[in-house]
Amino acid sequence: MLEESGGPCWLSEEVKTGTTIIGVEFDGGIVLGSDSRVSAGASVVNRVMNKLSLLHDKIYCALSGSAADAQTIAEIVNYQLDVHSVELGEDPLVRSAATLVKNISYKYKEELSAHLIVAGWDRRKGGQVYVTLNGLLSRQPFAVGGSGSSYIYGFVDAEYRKGMSRRETQEFVVNALTLAMSRDGSSGGVAYLVTIDETGTEEKCILGNDLPKFFDQ
Amino acid sequence: MSRGTNAGFDRHITIFSPEGRLYQVEYAFKAIAQSGLTSVGIRGKDCAIVVTQKKVPDKLLDPSTVTNMFPLTPRIGCVMTGQYADSRSQVHRARVEAAEWKYKFGYDITADMLCRRLADISQVYTQNAEMRPLGCCMILVAMDPQKGPVLYKCDPAGYYCGFRATGVGAKQQEANSYLEKKLKKRPELTYERSVEMAICCLSSILSMDFKSTELEVGVVTKDIPKFRTLTEAEIETHLTAIAERE
Repeated sequence: MLEESGGPCWLSEEVKTGTTIIGVEFDGGIVLGSDSRVSAGASVVNRVMNKLSLLHDKIYCALSGSAADAQTIAEIVNYQLDVHSVELGEDPLVRSAATLVKNISYKYKEELSAHLIVAGWDRRKGGQVYVTLNGLLSRQPFAVGGSGSSYIYGFVDAEYRKGMSRRETQEFVVNALTLAMSRDGSSGGVAYLVTIDETGTEEKCILGNDLPKFFDQ
Repeated sequence: MSRGTNAGFDRHITIFSPEGRLYQVEYAFKAIAQSGLTSVGIRGKDCAIVVTQKKVPDKLLDPSTVTNMFPLTPRIGCVMTGQYADSRSQVHRARVEAAEWKYKFGYDITADMLCRRLADISQVYTQNAEMRPLGCCMILVAMDPQKGPVLYKCDPAGYYCGFRATGVGAKQQEANSYLEKKLKKRPELTYERSVEMAICCLSSILSMDFKSTELEVGVVTKDIPKFRTLTEAEIETHLTAIAERE
């Protein structure tokens, strides 16, 4: 084997949030969920990173793709929403936040490599989930993203039902994350959940041993 | 030295007069008084409040769209006195500066830093010949996480300072004298006393009794550190309390 020169390989690998992220709408709000693994090549650089970023009080986004790109987009949109909301005098629309994210993703689509799922609650349309992959903007009842999402498309398509309650939606999200984390090498760690509805925002962290158990001989 | 070759421009743009004055800046202060309104700010023990007159000169105007109180960030609010368009320009600039600070440094801007930034911007206008100073004065209030309630004022000259209480506008001399007298003994100012003192100050210097529709009150308190403007009903409660005490 040739000797590795120039230090450990994770120093030169790009830091990606090989990830599973999921956003689901329920009647009256949304649930956003993510795993917590940040990898640089084969190395886990951070095993407890919270990939659910605040854009505004009742609007969060889930980060996936390149860690730096995704965080930067979230921070810029947070700044833009700060000015926007104080000028409006009220909470911004989820669609506004998603549009701001989409505008950056589209304008710099050659340079950036990040996909953010934007979800939140506003007075006009209640809970909404938007995807902004590659600079498109689309509202969906639920959305999955990140490297781990490929393993759970079948699960979410089969198990999603319209009109789930808040509890059922949270369980659905946790189940999806658990299944993805157990099959995707770039996803793992703990599960972070954010539930947003009219009354407020609830952040939860579910540790590895508290995740549901599936067939795992 | 001789009169120099000012050729009389010192009144038209911001260059020094032979006596060392900046006439344009002084005229800016006169522009504030021209609006005819007066505002008062008081810093209490665990609150900071600002009060201003609400004059709706035209019967066709919608009073709910007329305001001189502006939130700058969730925790910092201000009252503007002077030319309305200049006021809105300064408020917008303040909002953008505050948001930029949070984006750049990762934490909320404090009232003193925001006031300093606006004062520095105002100072630039007193040096640039191509821009005039703004004809408005801002009183900021906030609950500073370290210092508690704070009250700051910045004026067109680029001067800013923290105050225990201050007045701005057409009757600012009278307001400041009134406040100096009332605060001489350094009384303990609860929230109710601060609001009532500010309203009484305006009543006294303008010699009029206010209705709740003729006032705007903005407060930050320890319990609710978010800047908010009082509703007409809340103002009415304070007016009643004042009337009862007399």
